[in-house]
Amino acid sequence: MNQQEVDGILQKAAELKVFCEYGQRTVPVLDEIASFVREISPAIEDLRAVVEVSMVNIPKAANQLGRVTQATEQASTDILNTLDRMVATLDKVIGSVATGMISSDLGAATKKMAAIVKTLVDKSGWDDDIVKLAEAWDMHLQSLRMSGSTSNLEKLLKELQNDCTEIMMALQVQDITQQHIGAVMGTIQAVAEGLQKLTTGFFSTNEKDNVPSPPITIPVQPELENVGEAERKKMVESLLSKARAGQL
Amino acid sequence: MTSMKILIVDDSITIRRIITNALKTVGFPDTIEAANGKDALEKLTNANVDFIITDWNMPEMNGLDFIKQVRANPVYSSLPILMITTRGTEHDVIEALQAKVNSYIVKPFTPQELKEKIEAVLKTSQVNIV
Repeated sequence: MNQQEVDGILQKAAELKVFCEYGQRTVPVLDEIASFVREISPAIEDLRAVVEVSMVNIPKAANQLGRVTQATEQASTDILNTLDRMVATLDKVIGSVATGMISSDLGAATKKMAAIVKTLVDKSGWDDDIVKLAEAWDMHLQSLRMSGSTSNLEKLLKELQNDCTEIMMALQVQDITQQHIGAVMGTIQAVAEGLQKLTTGFFSTNEKDNVPSPPITIPVQPELENVGEAERKKMVESLLSKARAGQL
Repeated sequence: MTSMKILIVDDSITIRRIITNALKTVGFPDTIEAANGKDALEKLTNANVDFIITDWNMPEMNGLDFIKQVRANPVYSSLPILMITTRGTEHDVIEALQAKVNSYIVKPFTPQELKEKIEAVLKTSQVNIV
């Protein structure tokens, strides 16, 4: 054995010493990793169960939100139909009031008085008293038609019509909530897709499941700034003014 | 009452009916409806429309794309357009104005507000306001 061979053996021994020292330091770390994996295994199993339940429940929740939207839309349509009928009926009634034909009592009294006048005329012809009576009755009728009670009724009916319009306008809330529900459904969809990735990638032992998931597409939904209606309208008006002045 | 024909573009049938009724109460009874931008472009070719009221969020073609198409078409480019939408951020309004919408309403609105906006647009009916 020459000096060169001795040096080679010594170098190998030195390398082996370094390797052993390194191993002594890494073994405890590997032990800790193994211990950590043993500890989190039950947690991973729990998480898998939660994810599996969520994968069933999330589409159900989205479905229920969809049904809420459908139900409110149907209810809004029904309310609008009823309001349309009410407005049409009120239109007719207002028309009748305006022409003085609303009061059935008035109509019956008119007929009765006309019959009396006719009887008197048949008996004694158009003498002065009957003419005066007919003229007085005509004035009375006109004053009734122009009276406060009829015009008040017309006013009340128009107020009812305005109330119908207000109810109609309030139904905008259906569209507004529908759009917010749409935004929530978009978020739910994104969470479901994330969980889907987790189950196919992390939990699955099947190689075929480990294909990359399609990219998540969250539909763009409107976001209202966290400000009141009045402030928002003010902001819109301010921007419209700027646009008109060419300052936008 | 005016004979001006107004095209209402909104995917919600409820909102279309609400706008139609509101317009009727403030003196604009002549309206036609479309469910999205694509449908509205077809309606424009078949009806003599004087004014457009459109939503923003719609399937097939949204309101912003519809406005851009209208403005790009020399036949309809000068039509007044009012946008009625739930989108109420400053960024949204600016984006709509840059697409050359004439006026903008954030839902909910009242018939009176609708009337005032239409009248204001008609008064200053120069389309290229931006």
